Amino acid sequence: MGRIIGIDLGTTNSLVAFTDAETRQPRCLPDPQGRTLLPSVVSLDSAGAMVVGWPAWEGLLHQSQRSVYSVKRLMGRGVEDVQEELKLFPFRVAPDSQSVIKIELGEPGTAQKTLTPPEVSAFILRELKRRAEQFFGEEVTRAVITVPAYFNDAQRQATKDAGRIAGLEVERLVNEPTAASLAYGLDKHQRALIAVYDFGGGTFDISLLQLEEGLFKVLSTNGDTHLGGDDIDNLFAEKIGQEIQAQFGVKVSASPDLYQSLRRTLIAAKHELSQQDATTIRFKLEGKGEYTRALSREEFEGWIAPIVERTLGPCKRALRDAGLKPEQIDEVVLVGGSTRLPLVRRRVQELFGRKPHCELNPDEVVALGAAVQAHILEGGVTDMLLLDVTPLSLGIETMGGAVAKIIPRNATIPASASEMFTTYVDNQTGVDIQVVQGERELVKDCRSLARFTLKVPPQPAGLPRVEVKFLIDANGILSVAARDLRTGQEHTVEVKPSYGLSDDEVERMILESIEHAEVDFAATQLIGVRNDAETILRATTGALAGEQAQELSAEELRRIEAARAALQEAMGSDDHRLIRERLEELNQATHNLAELLMNTAVRAAVKGKRPDEVSL
Amino acid sequence: MMDRIATEKQTARVTSPLQCWECRTALADEQENGIHFCSQCGKVQPLATKTDYFSFFGLTRKLGVDAAQLEKQFHQLSWKLHPDKFNNAGAYERDLSLERTAALNDAYRTLRDPAARTEYLLRLEEVRKEGKVKQQAPPDLLEEVFELNEHLEELRAAKRSGSDPRALDEQRHQLEKARGTFQHKLDQVLAELTNQFAAWDALLDTRPGDAAAKRTVLARMNEVLNRHSYIRNLVTNVSDELEQ
Repeated sequence: MGRIIGIDLGTTNSLVAFTDAETRQPRCLPDPQGRTLLPSVVSLDSAGAMVVGWPAWEGLLHQSQRSVYSVKRLMGRGVEDVQEELKLFPFRVAPDSQSVIKIELGEPGTAQKTLTPPEVSAFILRELKRRAEQFFGEEVTRAVITVPAYFNDAQRQATKDAGRIAGLEVERLVNEPTAASLAYGLDKHQRALIAVYDFGGGTFDISLLQLEEGLFKVLSTNGDTHLGGDDIDNLFAEKIGQEIQAQFGVKVSASPDLYQSLRRTLIAAKHELSQQDATTIRFKLEGKGEYTRALSREEFEGWIAPIVERTLGPCKRALRDAGLKPEQIDEVVLVGGSTRLPLVRRRVQELFGRKPHCELNPDEVVALGAAVQAHILEGGVTDMLLLDVTPLSLGIETMGGAVAKIIPRNATIPASASEMFTTYVDNQTGVDIQVVQGERELVKDCRSLARFTLKVPPQPAGLPRVEVKFLIDANGILSVAARDLRTGQEHTVEVKPSYGLSDDEVERMILESIEHAEVDFAATQLIGVRNDAETILRATTGALAGEQAQELSAEELRRIEAARAALQEAMGSDDHRLIRERLEELNQATHNLAELLMNTAVRAAVKGKRPDEVSL
Repeated sequence: MMDRIATEKQTARVTSPLQCWECRTALADEQENGIHFCSQCGKVQPLATKTDYFSFFGLTRKLGVDAAQLEKQFHQLSWKLHPDKFNNAGAYERDLSLERTAALNDAYRTLRDPAARTEYLLRLEEVRKEGKVKQQAPPDLLEEVFELNEHLEELRAAKRSGSDPRALDEQRHQLEKARGTFQHKLDQVLAELTNQFAAWDALLDTRPGDAAAKRTVLARMNEVLNRHSYIRNLVTNVSDELEQ
């Protein structure tokens, strides 16, 4: 089965973590430079190769139009959803984008590429997968990936697709605030009410949990998948951009590279203002001089207060849904880079009337939680269990465009609902069903998830009875099954997602990516394992010819010979897993023989080595 | 055009688990006992066709439910049934875990809430049909409902036109006051509803075959429930507006 890694696929940064089976402690894996963060930036270099992470982040400043950042904000969204923010992004969107955004990188005449958001995310995931593989020295194919709690079905599906494209079996999508609560090492035995306030680069979540004897039960969640540090940065850039224009007559936003460089300067200033009361912004304008401005924390907070204020509505709604008052909350946990803002900490403290926890690095805590959940799924943790909820009500369209809610928001998942459908006119052969997510009463105000047509045999109106079962799984993703109650026959329901990739498209992308990534890995694994196998085969042959072998029973010799032959046979295949397996078997079979060898004169020379390292 | 004829909240499945799918041990009727696992080999079992939310927890259709006991049972079953516990199991067992955990969550969500529990019972007893619920204001509340809607409209209009914050606060305050009134009424109606639980539960104990008496009690509860859901919708709408 192989180990499961935990991945925080963030708007700004992404991380990979795992749980050490012995210490049971989760930890983030660093890159060779010791950095655990991987900037969620992907760019296309001039030779047509994709660059991921830090080099792409650096490239943002001089080849912004070949780079994608904050792609998480585009996951599972249609073009019309993100018109405003597309204006601020440096990359272009293909004119034929509709329910799935297509990002065009590279200028005409240079290397070009068109990618969907799941494909861009897959590059980030693949980089993290590779990081884990290097660390463990083995292939990694299973992962838990975190998503904002308030992500809808399409956004979750897009994240799962990204995992599949990257060659990862997504064992579970976990909500970020809930993951954070797993990592926080809160006293598991006490019954406590916890609020997790997760304000990240692009999204805001609030989750309220009841914790009791290792059971992490989410009571309610709320949020805004379009509210985060990016909005603060964009607003900051707009304010300063106006001042620059007034002073120098330069419109920064007209030049993507210049805009990115201003953005980076201001992000640095924002970070400084979290540490100190004032800072000075300096920004060079080619040939025009330098814009300089002193900025106090107070003035900055005045600008961003409306954005921070927008997080409080969701908090109040979550409290109401859980039937709780702020003073009933025992612990408040802060997650996400934007919670470093002193204004955010003050407002949270005022709302809940208590000092929030921020002991753990808010950038790492979600990935650590993903690693804990991964270990739960591996079966390594049995005294912790997470019960999460669906953030949005699920409904179906009824007559007149109204919504009938069938699974309410904050229902513990997995959750299901069955509905009975019949026909309206004689010999009707299809029943159209539209599924939506959202809290409003009219279909047009909710998010369409999918539509499908139930096929029914032609019969008088009202006679067919088709039961449709809607199931939200533990990932928060919907599936639909239908059954004709008269015939007992199961219908296959082909659900066409309103937003997102079709299965065929995902399959094609997986195939394309497999050609690149997996094959490389398998090839290097094969070389390595063949070398190891040849070593042990040589050693075994030598040892069997030696005098120590004569001390072994005939039975044992037969076992060694069988294992040796099996490995020899496996050497003919390209399957690195099979060879590794047989190699381990031979290792086991020759255990006694190796011990005997150890007892002879070579003991000193081979001390501390594995049997397969014994050279004879 | 489609027609949604009813909400079948029973979790219906094709096979009745008279035998364990794994070891073929004969199993007792789930409807009576709330059986989730084989008594012999311990494997999770498919849902029986007739399982309803009450029988899932091994309960009769009484409305007086011990909330603490129900929560305890919910937690215990979650530990055993949750898909996390079956991640390394075979595909069939994983499906059973998913299906049964969904049923567990659906059942708990419905039974822990007195109004939802009553509504569910009324459906089971076929007193209440989907799409036939009256959404009319109770006559004695007409005046207050009218006033509340007016406050609501004023606040919405003020938000749209970008009124000055003080006027907005004043309108919010008015609305909050009105919400308080209706919240109080909601509590009263809920008490009225739960007061009738005893009558129903006693009937089940003493005269379970008396269909006419049952219908009378259920019809009375149905009326109170309609009133309850009407007021609850009002309070929810107002709260949504206030917290935006």
